[in-house]
Amino acid sequence: MKLNLKVNGTPREIEILAPAPLCQFRVDGGSARSADIAIPGSGLYSILLDGRSYDVQVERTPQHFIVVINGHRFEIEVHDPRRWSGRSGQQGGADIETIAAPMPGKVVRVLVKAGDTVVAGQGVAVVEAMKMQNEMKASRAGRVMTVTVQEGATVTAGEVLATIA
Amino acid sequence: MFQKILIANRGEIAVRITRTLHEMGIAAVAVYSDVDRASLHVRMADEAERLGPAPSSESYLRIDRILDAAKKHGAEAIHPGYGFLSENADFAAACEEAGLVFIGPSAESIRALGSKTAARQRAVSAGTPVVPGTERGVSLDEARGFAAQHGYPILLKAVAGGGGKGMRRVDREQDLESALRDASSEAERAFRNPEVYVERLIERPRHIEIQILGDRHGNMVHLGERECSVQRRHQKVIEESPSPLVAQHPELREEMGAAAIRAARAAGYYNAGTVEFLVDQDRRFYFLEVNTRLQVEHPVTELVTGLDLVKLQVEIAAGAKLPFSQQDISWRGSAIECRVYAEDPYNNFLPFPGKITRLERPLGPGIRLDACVYEGWTVPMEYDPLLAKLVVWAGTRTDAVARMIRALNEYEVGGIRTNLGFFRQIFEDPAFRNGHLHTGFIDEFFARQRPAEPPQELAVVAALAAALASTERDPAAPGSSNHGMSPWVLAGRQELLR
Repeated sequence: MKLNLKVNGTPREIEILAPAPLCQFRVDGGSARSADIAIPGSGLYSILLDGRSYDVQVERTPQHFIVVINGHRFEIEVHDPRRWSGRSGQQGGADIETIAAPMPGKVVRVLVKAGDTVVAGQGVAVVEAMKMQNEMKASRAGRVMTVTVQEGATVTAGEVLATIA
Repeated sequence: MFQKILIANRGEIAVRITRTLHEMGIAAVAVYSDVDRASLHVRMADEAERLGPAPSSESYLRIDRILDAAKKHGAEAIHPGYGFLSENADFAAACEEAGLVFIGPSAESIRALGSKTAARQRAVSAGTPVVPGTERGVSLDEARGFAAQHGYPILLKAVAGGGGKGMRRVDREQDLESALRDASSEAERAFRNPEVYVERLIERPRHIEIQILGDRHGNMVHLGERECSVQRRHQKVIEESPSPLVAQHPELREEMGAAAIRAARAAGYYNAGTVEFLVDQDRRFYFLEVNTRLQVEHPVTELVTGLDLVKLQVEIAAGAKLPFSQQDISWRGSAIECRVYAEDPYNNFLPFPGKITRLERPLGPGIRLDACVYEGWTVPMEYDPLLAKLVVWAGTRTDAVARMIRALNEYEVGGIRTNLGFFRQIFEDPAFRNGHLHTGFIDEFFARQRPAEPPQELAVVAALAAALASTERDPAAPGSSNHGMSPWVLAGRQELLR
């Protein structure tokens, strides 16, 4: 099974030749290597490779995986060439600005409505979590196309609040 | 001594107070809001009472309900913790009127010192140096006038504030109006008082504070200093004792200690309190404010002095005399605390509440963990993002830093994002290790930091882990297409089709 990866933006190819726990793999067409894999918990991989022990945390987000080893953080996109349900292409058109919630929280104020014209830097909505308010602003001038949340709504990180064209 | 005490708080501080009460053989009564029903502080308590819905204005700030709970459960005293009602003079007075002992200073002392502006005026008359400021809440025009006279940058602060809530740095005239509005509304929500005052900003100051402790018989000591210069958004994230500056200039401890006791005595203070100072580049110190309560960072003082501040608070509230005098206090070794927050250091430190799916705690020599979290618990979005205080002690600061890095490497919180990884970077930083601290440390750290290039082999291991994780089904993915089919079966079929 061959997978195309982007590790912190750098394209890499990884081929899994045998599955865990005694995993055989090849990176960027190099020679086959063996790794001993244990999964002690959800999102946690213990990997023994060439006699060294790595404790690896993996968090799945809608866009990518966040992998942390010894305090080093990697953002990794994984594309399986055989799967058609790719994860790319979910952003809007190039000239549509999406205003998204920066964190899980509650929408405490919606400052625009569909059809309004906004100037660059104008507040669109205010999201609050843990006593911290965050005003989401339009990055450029335009017209509000949609407002997809109401005041009082609970949102997750990355959830779309409004679009501006 | 009391038989039963109600803790008018939540989270790690309620857990920490419960621990001491249990060691003293005193029953602990917890209070909780609806989202905190399954919180650790409720589970650990001997008795518990619901206050109301999640918003703190309907639960942890409801004086009437807290007093009702105390009466219903037969508590004799109330420990307010920090935050919420801990520095509310009306609450302290209401406790006494209801025949309950408030574990803290008198309502009069809180009034005299708890308001930053009143405390400043008192310090000025006592001859303690203060940073120039308006000393009372201001309108937009008054703030403009102050800035015109003293120049930017200025600092907006909540009159009733603490902990960085309702505080804003303003560098330019055009930012003043919105900063004042934000600070004021944040102050209103956090303290039910929208008033904001203005101060001149001292560049690159250290934040060093003195722990004081007094009984109701006129005895008062200081327990040395804590350096809390490592802050972001005016909120402390790393605290330590001794201060690296005081370690080099030991006379500062006595000078600041004496100044702190003078300021507190003038207000008839008793119980535990903290006098905060800014220290400039020439080691001149300026009175900042008095926190008339137990501080978040009190554990570092406990570790270097060997004292239990909560136990002493309870004994003082029960009328006991201080069991020691100033010359009995000694300091040993070095203690450092990290405030572990539910926030994303890779996204501007924005809060990140949610469910904790995995938890590995650091253990072993010299570790203290004051926390309120457990695996499976959902961190609510209504309150402060503080999850835990990780505190280490070692004989020297160098050893304490090494121990902290070791502890951070053992600590894993899954399911939400935390600032644990950020701490690892700070403790590797040469400026931090050399003790070159000031309140702008984190901003400068980000500016000078070049992200270390991870070893090539780690990138390979990370890629392998991501590849393996991607072959596990994503429970959250809508229409995750393969109908539960293992990717290995899928891969096998593809191979056969070749």
